[in-house]
Amino acid sequence: MSNYQFNLPDIGEGLGEGEIVRWLIEPGGAVTADQAMVEVETDKALVEIPAPVTGTLKTMGGIVGDVIAVGTLLAVIETDSEAISAGRPEPTAELVKTTPSPAAASPQSDRVLAAPATRKYAVELGLDLTAIQGSGPHGRITREDVEQAAGGDSASPEAPAPNAEAATPPKEIQPATPRAAPSGRVDEVVTLRGLRKTIAENMTASLQVPTIIDWHHCDATELIAARDSLKEEFATQGVKLTYLPFFIKACVLALQKVPSMNAVLDMDKGEIIYRKHFNIGIATATESGLIVPVIHDADLKSIFDLAIEINELAELSRSRKVPRDRLTEGTFTITNFGSYGSRMGTPIIRPPEVAIGGFGSIHDEVIPIKGEPAVRPILPVCAATDHRLNDGEHLWTFIRTVTDLLEKPTRILGYA
Amino acid sequence: MVIGQIATSTDFLVAGGGPGGYVAALRAAQLGRNVTLVDRDGLNGVGGVCLRVGCIPSKGLIEAAELAYRSATDGAAYGLKTKYDGIDMAAFQVWKSQLVGGLTDGIRGLLDKAGVRVVEGNLSLSRPDEAVISMPDGQAQFLKFRDLVLATGSRPIDLPGFEVNGDDILDSTGALCLEQLPESLAIIGGGYIGLEIGIALAKLGSTVTIVEALEGILPTMDRRTAKPVEQRLGELGVVLHAKSKAIAFEEGKLTIETTDGTKQIAANKVIVAIGRKPNSDDLGLDLARVSTDNYGLLPVAADRRITDHIAAIGDITPGPALAHKASAEAIVAAEALCGAKVAFQPAAIPAVVFSDPEVASAGLSTAEADAKGIKTTTANFPLNASGRAKTLNAATGFLQIVAAADSQIVLGVHIVGPHASDLIGEGVLAIEMGATLEDLALSIHPHPTLSEQYLEAAHVGIGQPIHLALLGKK
Repeated sequence: MSNYQFNLPDIGEGLGEGEIVRWLIEPGGAVTADQAMVEVETDKALVEIPAPVTGTLKTMGGIVGDVIAVGTLLAVIETDSEAISAGRPEPTAELVKTTPSPAAASPQSDRVLAAPATRKYAVELGLDLTAIQGSGPHGRITREDVEQAAGGDSASPEAPAPNAEAATPPKEIQPATPRAAPSGRVDEVVTLRGLRKTIAENMTASLQVPTIIDWHHCDATELIAARDSLKEEFATQGVKLTYLPFFIKACVLALQKVPSMNAVLDMDKGEIIYRKHFNIGIATATESGLIVPVIHDADLKSIFDLAIEINELAELSRSRKVPRDRLTEGTFTITNFGSYGSRMGTPIIRPPEVAIGGFGSIHDEVIPIKGEPAVRPILPVCAATDHRLNDGEHLWTFIRTVTDLLEKPTRILGYA
Repeated sequence: MVIGQIATSTDFLVAGGGPGGYVAALRAAQLGRNVTLVDRDGLNGVGGVCLRVGCIPSKGLIEAAELAYRSATDGAAYGLKTKYDGIDMAAFQVWKSQLVGGLTDGIRGLLDKAGVRVVEGNLSLSRPDEAVISMPDGQAQFLKFRDLVLATGSRPIDLPGFEVNGDDILDSTGALCLEQLPESLAIIGGGYIGLEIGIALAKLGSTVTIVEALEGILPTMDRRTAKPVEQRLGELGVVLHAKSKAIAFEEGKLTIETTDGTKQIAANKVIVAIGRKPNSDDLGLDLARVSTDNYGLLPVAADRRITDHIAAIGDITPGPALAHKASAEAIVAAEALCGAKVAFQPAAIPAVVFSDPEVASAGLSTAEADAKGIKTTTANFPLNASGRAKTLNAATGFLQIVAAADSQIVLGVHIVGPHASDLIGEGVLAIEMGATLEDLALSIHPHPTLSEQYLEAAHVGIGQPIHLALLGKK
C-alpha cells in the first residue's frame, strides 16, 4: 500500500487554475487508472480529469466550488502497488500535513486553540479554524497557520478553500458604501471565476480596441431557397443545416478579399500579422456563459463539412466539453444573434482578432423593388473592426462582399 | 402623530445608549458612518443602566460600605482608633451623582466629538428599513436607516404582589437612590444584584434579610464559590432564607413561605431583585420578520446580525446580561454592519460579583467541563496562604484554575476573595491565549500581591507547589 499524490495537471496551455465542479468518485471509493474521477472547470472548458493510477480515493484536494491551482494537490489515491508509487512517492510526513485531523487541533477542549486575534483573522478570511491543523504546542493555531491555510498550502477536504479575495490579507475596514437594497433582501455575493471571469477579462481587454461598426442588410430570398434546397438532402444524412455555414463561407471569402480583417495588430512590436489560416470562431451560449469554439481552416471546408462541424461543436458546447485546442487560434468571429430573434447587435471584437461579423434574424420588410414596394425577407448583417488597422473602406468592402455573396449564394460556389 | 409619516433618513441608527449602544455608535462613527443614537432618556440616558443606576453607583455604595465596615471591625486589628458612626445617605447620593455625572459627561463628550447625534425617544420598527421614534412630547418621528443596532438592554422582572412603588417596595435602581438608610430591609432574590446591595446596606447598618427561592445564593455560580459568601453573610448578620418564597408585604412585615412554614420578617423596605428581562417586546420586530425566543432574546448570527441590516447586542441577545459582553458585541456588530467579516467569539466572558468576599469566574467550571466530556485537572491555592491577603486581614477565599487534564491548557478560573473582580482579567487572558499551567507558573508575578495566587495555583497544578508543603508530597 502506498499513497499517490495527484496534483492538478496543466490541462491546457497557460491554464493557471481550475474549479472543482463535481467529484465522480466518492471519498474512499475505488478508482481505476484513466477512469474519470473529477470534473474541473477551467476558464474555457469543463474537463473530466481521469485517475492517474488504480486504487482508493483517500483525500480530495477540495470540495465542489473550490478553485485549485495547477500543481497543487487534487487527490491522494491509495494504491496497492509499490511499483507505481515509486514513480511519484508521497512522503508520509507531507501527506499528514495535507490531511490535517481537525480533532488534533483541540483534543482536550471544546474550543479551537488560537489567540483571539488569530480567531478574528480567520473569520476575516472566511476560514474555519476547526479545519486547520495548528503548528504550535498542543495544536495551537498560529497566525502563520491561518495565512498558510488561506494561501491554499494546506488544502484539505475539510477546509473550505479560500476564495480569491481571501488569499490577500484583508484591508482595513472601509466605511460601507451606500447599498440600495432594502433590509431583508440579502444581496448574493459570488466570486467571479471560471468562464465568467474569462469573459469579463476579455471584454475589458476589448475596450482597448478603437472599434468601428457598420450595419447593412441583404435580400435573403435566394439564400433561403439555397438552404431549403440543401436542407432535406443533408437531413437524409442526419445533418442539420442552418444558415450559419453560408455565413461562414461568405465571411471567409470576404476575409480573403480584405486580408487586414483576418490579421493581428502587434503594437508592441509594431507589426501587422496577416493570418493565412481562416479559423472562424462561433459565439455560442452555454449555461455558464458565452464560449467561442473555432472552426479551423474554414476555407477548406464545404457547406456540408461546416454543417457537421457546427452540429458537433454545438453538442460539445452544451456539455462544456469542447477540447481546448478547438477553443483557440481563432482569426475571426461570427456572432449569430439572429438566432435569438435579434435584428441588430453591436458585436465586440475579441483581441487579438481585429474583426467580428454579426448576423441578425431574417425577417420580412417592405422594400422598393424597381420603384414598387415589395415584401422581401431581409437579413441584417453587421461587422466591427479595429480602426487602428482598418478604415471605413475596408469595413465597407468586407461587409459589402458578405452581403453580395449572401444575396446571390450561388456566387459562393464560384469561389469556394 | 402630528408630524406625519414623512421619514427623514439616517445612515447608522443605534437604539439604546448603554454600554452596548454607545460603544456601537462610537465604533460606527470611527468607521465613517453618520450615526444617530436613540435613547428613551436622550442625552440623560447615555451610559445606560450600568453606568447611571447599576454597576457604577452600586460599586460606589459597596466601597462606602466596605470603608465603614472595615473602619469599625478590621480597624481595631491594625490598632486604629476608628469607628463607624453611620452614613449620611443624602451626602452619599450627592457624591454618587457627581461620580455618575462625570462619567456620563465623558461619554457625551466622546459621542459629540464623534459626531453622533443623540435623540430622545422610544424606538420601534415601522418597516424593515425604517424606525419610528416616539418622542417625549407625544410626537412621532420616522427615521429611515441603512443599518440599525438594537441595544435596548433589560429591566428588572416584576414580581406580582410586589409592584415597585418607589416608597417601600423598590427595585435595584431605587435601592441605590435611598436618601436614608433603612433600619431593616428584605431582599427578594439571592442573585448577584440582591447580594451586592444587601451586603453593602448590612455593612452600613441595616438589618438585612435575603429571600431566595432556590437552594442558596448565587444560583448560577458553582456551589463551592457561593459557600464562602454564604458563610460571610452569617458573620455580617444577614439572614438568608433559601428555598423560600415571598408571599406578601404589608405595613413593614414581609410574609415568606419557608421549608419550615410561613414566617414574618420586619422590613422597612423590600427590594425586588429576582432578575432582569430583555427590552425586546416593543421593538416591532415582526416588521423585520424576526421573533424572539421564549425568554425574549433575539437570535443573532455570529456577527450579531439578525437581518442583513439590523444587529442586536447586549441583554436582548443570548448569553449573560453583562455590560462588558454588550460592549464587546457592539464592536463586532458595528464592524459587521460596515461590511467587515467578523464574529463574536470569546473563549470566556468573565462574571464578577462584588459581594463579600468578591467572586469572579471565567471559562469552564469542572462541572461544565464534565458535562462536555472534557477531562480536567484543578489547581487550587487557598487565600490564607497569601501574604498579601494577610496584610488585608482577609483569609477567606481561593483561586482555582481548571485546566485540561493532559495538555494543562487553562480552561477556567474561579476566584473568591478580595479584588477577585480585578484578578479575573489575567484568567481571561490565559484562557483566550490558550496558556498552560506551566505558562502561568513561569510568568513572574509581583510580590507581594494577590496576583501571586495565579503563580502559586499553577505551581500546585504542575505538581511543584512552593508555598503549600503538604500538597507537594502527592
